[in-house]
Amino acid sequence: MAGDILVVAEHRDGKLAGATFELVALGRSLARQSGGTVKVALLGHGAAIAPRLAEYADVLAVDDPHLEHYSPGGYEQALHAIVESVSPRAILLLHSSQGFDLAPALAVAFDAPLVTNCVALVFDGPVLVATRKILNDKVVVEIEVSSERPYLATVRPAAVKAAEPLPSSATVTHMHVSIDPAKLGATFLRAEKPEVQDIDIATADIVVSAGRGIKEKKNLALVEEFAKLLGGVVGASRPLTDMEWLPKTRQVGQSGKTVRPKLYIACGISGAMQHVSGMKDAGTIIAINTDPSAPIFEVAHYGFTVNVLELLPAAMKELRSG
Amino acid sequence: MALNIIVCVKQIPNPDLQFQINAEGTDIRRDALNYRTNGADEYALEEAVRLKEKHGGRVTVVTAGPKRTEQMLREAIAKGADEAIRIAYDDPAAYDAMRVARVLAAAVKSIPHDLVLTGVQSDDYIHSLTGIVIARTLGHPHASVVTKVALDGTTLTANRELEGGDQEVVTVPMPAVLTIQFGINTPRYAPLPAIMKAARQPIKELTPAAVGASSWDAFAAGYTFRVRRLTPPESKGRAEIFAGGVADQAKKLAQLLREKGFYRG
Repeated sequence: MAGDILVVAEHRDGKLAGATFELVALGRSLARQSGGTVKVALLGHGAAIAPRLAEYADVLAVDDPHLEHYSPGGYEQALHAIVESVSPRAILLLHSSQGFDLAPALAVAFDAPLVTNCVALVFDGPVLVATRKILNDKVVVEIEVSSERPYLATVRPAAVKAAEPLPSSATVTHMHVSIDPAKLGATFLRAEKPEVQDIDIATADIVVSAGRGIKEKKNLALVEEFAKLLGGVVGASRPLTDMEWLPKTRQVGQSGKTVRPKLYIACGISGAMQHVSGMKDAGTIIAINTDPSAPIFEVAHYGFTVNVLELLPAAMKELRSG
Repeated sequence: MALNIIVCVKQIPNPDLQFQINAEGTDIRRDALNYRTNGADEYALEEAVRLKEKHGGRVTVVTAGPKRTEQMLREAIAKGADEAIRIAYDDPAAYDAMRVARVLAAAVKSIPHDLVLTGVQSDDYIHSLTGIVIARTLGHPHASVVTKVALDGTTLTANRELEGGDQEVVTVPMPAVLTIQFGINTPRYAPLPAIMKAARQPIKELTPAAVGASSWDAFAAGYTFRVRRLTPPESKGRAEIFAGGVADQAKKLAQLLREKGFYRG
């Protein structure tokens, strides 16, 4: 029916992206406002995850050999059929690598308005109000979009709490859509997994991460010395691994590793969303950054605002002199 | 094969700075902003220039923005672009990224191309949609978050970055659009003689008429889009911030680490 909210499930290698359940939670709250229900679109081939999704919402499943791997054209064809069939009021996707690739293409194909990277969504009558964080999360902007067409939105992972399961499982409806293999767009060739030869920062109890605030590669030695003193390992924010100061295996964040150590110390890291999503669940978070308005202090438990290159040697001296 | 490559670039307010919201709450204050080229676009330009150096062809940089963006375009020429086009789209705020993307798509359509590169996102509004809107509007295959590009004959393959360090390799039929991820290469610095030369190079200006429209309003889609308000982020105030100089804060940090049992020396 017209008030339904369609959530596009994201999965790879037979595993659902956990943030799909955050979309379900947001979809439920939107559906309450629009007078519909949440439906989850599951596109794939031979994936046995439909029953797990049905614990949370009605599932519309399309199974086709050409959907074994994600392709923008394959997904667009399947979603076109689903949207024709259920006429949703809004379609929600994750603001993820797949969401970047798919949502804008759907917006053009469906002639639908799109708001990306949202942290909150509500209906104000027929108007969709989207909240976004911009300029390194230093400004919050509320956008109003109004259209007769279904709204498309991508939602930033970890912006809302994941949904709880329903008291009893919902239904799984299998839809038959024939996917034209000539219209997949870019097509999957192979997967590449990172080679693991380095230490695994995801298993460490203490992670001391360095960011752009350490200024020069030679200052990594200081961070390493500090980490060693605490019996921890050194992680990094993206700019440092891009500059190859540390290997990619040390990168904390959305495109790197998710870590949940007992102690996380962020040294000269501003705290962009991509980084924070990979460390926000650490037990204790200490942030050191000279910019008191840096978003890292929003997730940190303790904040130090002096130059990290001066603070670390002084703190080590304090610790050693006991 | 020789490639005609278009790179779409954007000039953004440096997001590392502080921002103030205007009195109406509809935009940031723009009277004293420091602008720079969007980071991911620098990587896209470098990748285009490298492809040209390897396979031959031509690199055209395109932006949609006011006169101030000409400086960015000249820098791009100094770094190896052959031609620069400024779409005279002078909306300093431009919150409706879909609309700007449609304007860019119309401009790209008017320039011969085999490949279009954009940055994966712009660091001011972080939409991550421009490249893919251009692709789908023109009916071109696309790949996003690209960390490696390889061209073998006429077959283009791209590595896409997924979450958790995983990647996938995809084949992209041309003409194609790729959105380029940070770190794909090391962008070069422009040599001084090239900077001098670029300062004299004309920059082509594109008006709505050049793409067959009466005004840029023709690219508004069938929906209304409005900025309701801008606000500073709500401070959760979670962090307990320590004050004082280095010596004081070092003492506090050492004390904290001991109290929490993270240092047992």
